[in-house]
Amino acid sequence: MFPFFIPIVMNTSKISLFSKVLLLVVSALFFASLSFPMWRIELEAPQYPEGLVLQLHANKIAGDVAIINGLNHYIGMKTLHTEDFPEFTILPYIFGFFGLFALAMVFIAKRKGVIILFLSFLLFGVLAGVDFYRWNYEYGHNLNPNAAIVVPGMAYQPPLIGYKQLLNFGAYSIPDIGGWMLVAAGLLLFIIVIKETNLLKKIKKQNIQPALFLLLFLTLFSCANDKAVPIKMNADNCDFCGMSIADGKFAAEVITEKGRDYKFDDILCMIHYTKENSATKIGAYYVNDFAKDNVLIPANTAFFLSGGTIQSPMRGGIIAVSNEVDAKEFGTKLNAKPITWEAILNK
Amino acid sequence: MNNKFLKAGFAIVLVAAFFSSCKPKNSGDVVSGDAAQKAYVAPGKYDEFYNFVSGGFSGQVSVYGLPSGRLLRVVPVFSVDPQSGYGYSEETKPMLNTSHGFVPWDDQHHVEMSQTNGEVDGRWLFANANNTPRIARLDLKTFRTTEIIELPNSAGNHSSPFITENTEYVVAGTRFSVPPDNAKGDVPINTYKENFKGYLSFVKVGKAGEMDIAFQIEAPGVNFDLSHAGKGKSHGWFFFSCYNTEQANTLLEVNASQKDKDFIMAVNWKKAEEYVKAGKGKKVTTKYAHNVYDEKTHSAKSEIRTEVLVLSAKELKDICYMIPCPKSPHGCDVDPTGEYIVGSGKLAALIPVFSFDKLQNAIKNKQFDGNYDGIPVIKYEAALHGEVQKPGLGPLHTEFDGKGNAYTTFFVSSEVVKWDIKSLKVLDRVPTYYSVGHLCIPGGDSRKPFGKYLIAYNKITKDRYLPTGPELAQSAQIFDISGDKMQLILDFPTIGEPHYAQAAPADLIRNNGQLKFYKIEDNNNPFATKGEKESKVIRKGNRVDVYMTSIRSHFAPDNIEGIKVGDEVYFHVTNLEQDWDVPHGFAIKGADNAELLIMPGETCTLKWIPKKVGIVPFYCTDFCSALHQEMQGYVRVSPAGSSVPLTFSLGTNVPASK
Repeated sequence: MFPFFIPIVMNTSKISLFSKVLLLVVSALFFASLSFPMWRIELEAPQYPEGLVLQLHANKIAGDVAIINGLNHYIGMKTLHTEDFPEFTILPYIFGFFGLFALAMVFIAKRKGVIILFLSFLLFGVLAGVDFYRWNYEYGHNLNPNAAIVVPGMAYQPPLIGYKQLLNFGAYSIPDIGGWMLVAAGLLLFIIVIKETNLLKKIKKQNIQPALFLLLFLTLFSCANDKAVPIKMNADNCDFCGMSIADGKFAAEVITEKGRDYKFDDILCMIHYTKENSATKIGAYYVNDFAKDNVLIPANTAFFLSGGTIQSPMRGGIIAVSNEVDAKEFGTKLNAKPITWEAILNK
Repeated sequence: MNNKFLKAGFAIVLVAAFFSSCKPKNSGDVVSGDAAQKAYVAPGKYDEFYNFVSGGFSGQVSVYGLPSGRLLRVVPVFSVDPQSGYGYSEETKPMLNTSHGFVPWDDQHHVEMSQTNGEVDGRWLFANANNTPRIARLDLKTFRTTEIIELPNSAGNHSSPFITENTEYVVAGTRFSVPPDNAKGDVPINTYKENFKGYLSFVKVGKAGEMDIAFQIEAPGVNFDLSHAGKGKSHGWFFFSCYNTEQANTLLEVNASQKDKDFIMAVNWKKAEEYVKAGKGKKVTTKYAHNVYDEKTHSAKSEIRTEVLVLSAKELKDICYMIPCPKSPHGCDVDPTGEYIVGSGKLAALIPVFSFDKLQNAIKNKQFDGNYDGIPVIKYEAALHGEVQKPGLGPLHTEFDGKGNAYTTFFVSSEVVKWDIKSLKVLDRVPTYYSVGHLCIPGGDSRKPFGKYLIAYNKITKDRYLPTGPELAQSAQIFDISGDKMQLILDFPTIGEPHYAQAAPADLIRNNGQLKFYKIEDNNNPFATKGEKESKVIRKGNRVDVYMTSIRSHFAPDNIEGIKVGDEVYFHVTNLEQDWDVPHGFAIKGADNAELLIMPGETCTLKWIPKKVGIVPFYCTDFCSALHQEMQGYVRVSPAGSSVPLTFSLGTNVPASK
């Protein structure tokens, strides 16, 4: 937020026609969002293949509220009622206010006003997030101790945003149409602010490409449940051949999209397993770094060697290392040839 | 400008990607390559196994072939069956008689095949009625219900009809504890703790299968849920799961789920037998029906019995022991060796496995933790072999493959989980569609399982088949369990709601002396007509007995006159055919009951009270021959008090020639 403070002090001049048009759109988005749900929590369970959804409008809770309340009584969660949330009486006014504010700015057209609008909306977003989290926490933790199903240590707090497994239900919390409208309104305001303050030119001197790539990277690896689960040597068994895993140089592991982990004593066992269980969607593959002992590295970035004098537990004959230097070194040492991850997957 | 928009667009795509990247994709229900081949049984070929599936609220038992899932037959047991006339014909009406009178429906939950030395022997199938407590016995030579016994002092006979390893006893229990029949039942419901009792019935099974209540055990008023007999080393013991040890009488879903542990009650029935011999039982007056179908007369007789022998679990201290079991146990299953007893706490997140040896030691060394209503409670750890950790959510039932593995169903997480009985390690898990209840492995609760297939009986079907309005068929799923991993090979819809099921190798039943038709010379039905010449119509007051025969393609007689409105007409129809698969049907217009379906050599009786004057046709309903459509007749109904003489004929009642 800091870079924006400087222009506030410096600029009070009029905004461009382009920004006025955008402001008009922003205003329309604010008003239109009132007639759409803002947020949705989707629930999925084996016995609900069609899924259940909870939709939060500016002024009410909608969706499969009755069914969800019915299910929640097993775990002793309080039932959801629109009237229990004062937010639903206030929120329509807040969005109405933002809508009017944006409309007013079209006419007043003061740069400073636009910036205040953007910042106040940003502040509102943060507060709304905190408030949403607070309610989630409240409902997820404040459980009736006399409920039929009490799992010690288990809370049923839905995720603020994104996916979380709660007993047999997967909960998926995302903006709904109205919410996306607000996101769009926020983005448009941001663009107006950037344009009116010439922020882009100021930043352009620095290269923002790496930042974008960092964002991409974060996006792709945003799910924490893809993390490798350490293999316990001589205690864990191979999920394919059933033998206990005894060598920390050849083992492998998959994490399914549902977050389950399957461990293998040999890379080839992992490949066989995934072939036999093609219905199971794999989230991530991990393999032991041959250069170290029992260190799992992501398979898609590893370097693989095959053949030669490699003797893996189940005669898979494949090893993995984390970098090209190691790959060359072990390639000569073991008389093994490099092989790509794709080729292994198709074995 | 363009560049900016590109970047903004990129950012939006990124945000969208972020939101969708986390959501797991539906793992779906991909059936792998050779599934169709594994479930395929070519036309004309036989299935490997018979699968006897309880019908739940249909009250009947259905018979499927495995692995094809082909429906072979629905055997009427506790519900009337208009298509066969079961419960409508005069011969079968007594089968459904109870101390409450004629009960045309019940809720049939569990089936169990007779065993010899702990192995299924293909003689009989037992079935329980949950609502009006009864046990039925089906003869697997005829696939007919041949005996039904009512259980007094009980309500909700759920933990039934499980048997001991030589079919010495078939048991029944009480899921809804009530005041005993001879007590004053008119008490406030909230006096549950003082007045309500849970009765367990041990029904002796004779050489020919005949059932007789040997004794009942009066136990505390709790909900007895399921049971299984000990086998091998634990032969002589019976294990019953029970919940609501809180003894709640209202809002049980909350009030019966409060205690961390309920119980599995271990019953030493050999000891109970000794007490019976020693005269420690109390004879108690009550009323219950015992209905037997006689194969020679093709008729059932119902008898009301008035006395039962009761042993008190509280007074006779060494019959019953309580083993603590987490969270409202449901399934109570004993492994093929008889050593391990698996309790499935339906609200628990683990599966406790108890050891019979440890249980015996605990009893010997008095490792007790107080008592429950006078019954010693064994220390949990003293009887525990171990717990299966994190198996799934909502464990219900367990069956065994005879190779050291157990398979447990999970209702809430909708899956079947395979685990090792000794090491308690989870080996494999497969999803079911949706919310599996019971499961069945052929012989899976006996000493000799045939661990080739596993059938999951699901409670919810939803989108598995083409939609049929709000009411959908329930569903079963067959898994191949011959390998290390379970493999789904077939779905098939079921009759009613399937609960427990049993399966046995086809040859065991196919070669048990299957009856193909009833020999006419052995037909001892008092109303049998053994030849067309013997057919007749006899009036006694307003009762008219029609002795009728059917053979391809006519009835004898087929013209009857002189029947009057308000007469009680009994059509005793004998099927004279002596060949396999030539049943004849009999239906008459306006009958307020059902049709008859008469097997070759059999006699069935339909009661009919004509209400209107006129000509009433009757006909054969089972397409019996090329001239089936010609197989019909007429009854002339005259007003009450009419003077039309009673006549009957076949082929002679022709127009007067001029």
